[in-house]
Amino acid sequence: MNFNGTFTQVIDELVQRVMPALVIVRGHRFGAGSGIVWDANGLILTNNHVVGRRTPIVILQDDREYESKLLARDPDVDLALLSIDASGLTPLQPAPVSPRVGEMVFAFGHPWGQRNTVTRGIVSALVSAQNRRGETLPVVRSDAPLAPGNSGGPLVNAKGEVDGINAMIIGGDQSVSIAASVATEFVTKVLAKRKAEERTPADVI
Amino acid sequence: MSNNVLVELSDALADAAEKAGKATVLVNARRRMPASGIIYASDLILTADHVVEREDGIKVTLADGAEVSARLAGRDAGSDLAVLKLERPVENIAEATKSPARLGQLALVLGRPSANGIEASLGTVSAIGGPIRTGRGGMLEKYIRTDSISYPGFSGGPLVAADGTVLGVNTSGLANGAAVTIPADIAWKIADTLVKHGRIQHGYLGIRSQTVEIPATSQKALTRDQGTGLLIVGVENDSPASKGGLIVGDILVAVAGVPVLHHDELFTRLDGNVVGKSTPIDVLRGGQPQTINVVVGER
Repeated sequence: MNFNGTFTQVIDELVQRVMPALVIVRGHRFGAGSGIVWDANGLILTNNHVVGRRTPIVILQDDREYESKLLARDPDVDLALLSIDASGLTPLQPAPVSPRVGEMVFAFGHPWGQRNTVTRGIVSALVSAQNRRGETLPVVRSDAPLAPGNSGGPLVNAKGEVDGINAMIIGGDQSVSIAASVATEFVTKVLAKRKAEERTPADVI
Repeated sequence: MSNNVLVELSDALADAAEKAGKATVLVNARRRMPASGIIYASDLILTADHVVEREDGIKVTLADGAEVSARLAGRDAGSDLAVLKLERPVENIAEATKSPARLGQLALVLGRPSANGIEASLGTVSAIGGPIRTGRGGMLEKYIRTDSISYPGFSGGPLVAADGTVLGVNTSGLANGAAVTIPADIAWKIADTLVKHGRIQHGYLGIRSQTVEIPATSQKALTRDQGTGLLIVGVENDSPASKGGLIVGDILVAVAGVPVLHHDELFTRLDGNVVGKSTPIDVLRGGQPQTINVVVGER
């Protein structure tokens, strides 16, 4: 088979599609992590450990900076949902099924402050990590190199769908991402709760 | 979005991991540190020798989670390979590659270090070398190195081509902890011998030697271009060499008709095929070729 540069082309297309959804999540005192545009109207998903005591600043690919609102954070799944006052953003979609061992993955993020990097790997294992409450958390281990600053960024499959949220803090020296299913569940819960709260005043009267 | 070559490659790699993963088992043959193995025949598992620390009461966990008891059927420390006999036949026999590994080829390192499932990492074949001394008293004709990550517990597992066939057996036990792969053709051959005889025989002559250049005149007498041979600088008493008539000062140039230029080649020649047999050894004595028959001993 002669690929004639088609690999380079499809990888370029993948990067062009995913990159707009990659943001910088910068704390007010300490370094920066990565984040994912989760919907077009300003929902940003990142790791809980990336968010410091004050709500961080979110920087989009076009360098626009936003003060964020912290909608929810959960140290047990190491996720946080931020909101910025923006619209018309390009979100990523979570993969509809859990990944297979061996499939190709690409990690997007800002390791060591190096902006907009892509590292390649495959899914090494689908395992469970234990959080501090002793609950098991499905995680995706990969052989894509991750470093501090990758945290909160997406691990995407060959179609550009999110397989996981990179969170190397969980895996020590290994590349570990929180399964996309955990992220979807977290966001759905947060949004449902907010909706319920918005309704409450009317219900009380 | 529609499928493209990247998605196809990704699917192919996952398919390969799934196919070879079924033939990759968990081997529990030492305390607390399980390793991997390959289903080599319906009731035989090929694994690394250094992960087998007991001969009985070995537990093998299959891809479907079933646990099967096994015992040691044969082992060779020199090549760091061992064969385990399962107490019942199983399915999903590994398919060894028909085309040897090529430099630059994509290769998956597979392991089953825990009962939780298969683990994999991707790399390319970065070096094919050999022969090398293994540091465990053996000689490996050929080895493969990759740039992939080997996770703990990967020893005994397969290196897998993109089509799911097995390129070789991975081990960290041959090169000071670094991962190397024993090519499938060599590993399968050794496994065959281990199944039949339980061990690999290594030949013994009882000489000390050093590599020396062969003068042009002697090369002429040899009627071939052979730049180096092994000058015998010591012969042990009552050794096969001494009984056969090799003496200090002989330059060993061939074993069983195959030229020997270096120590490593002598090592390779003295394999199980010559042990116990009268084997013609070509030497230069006083500059003239002679053939001396030596019954090779076993080390």
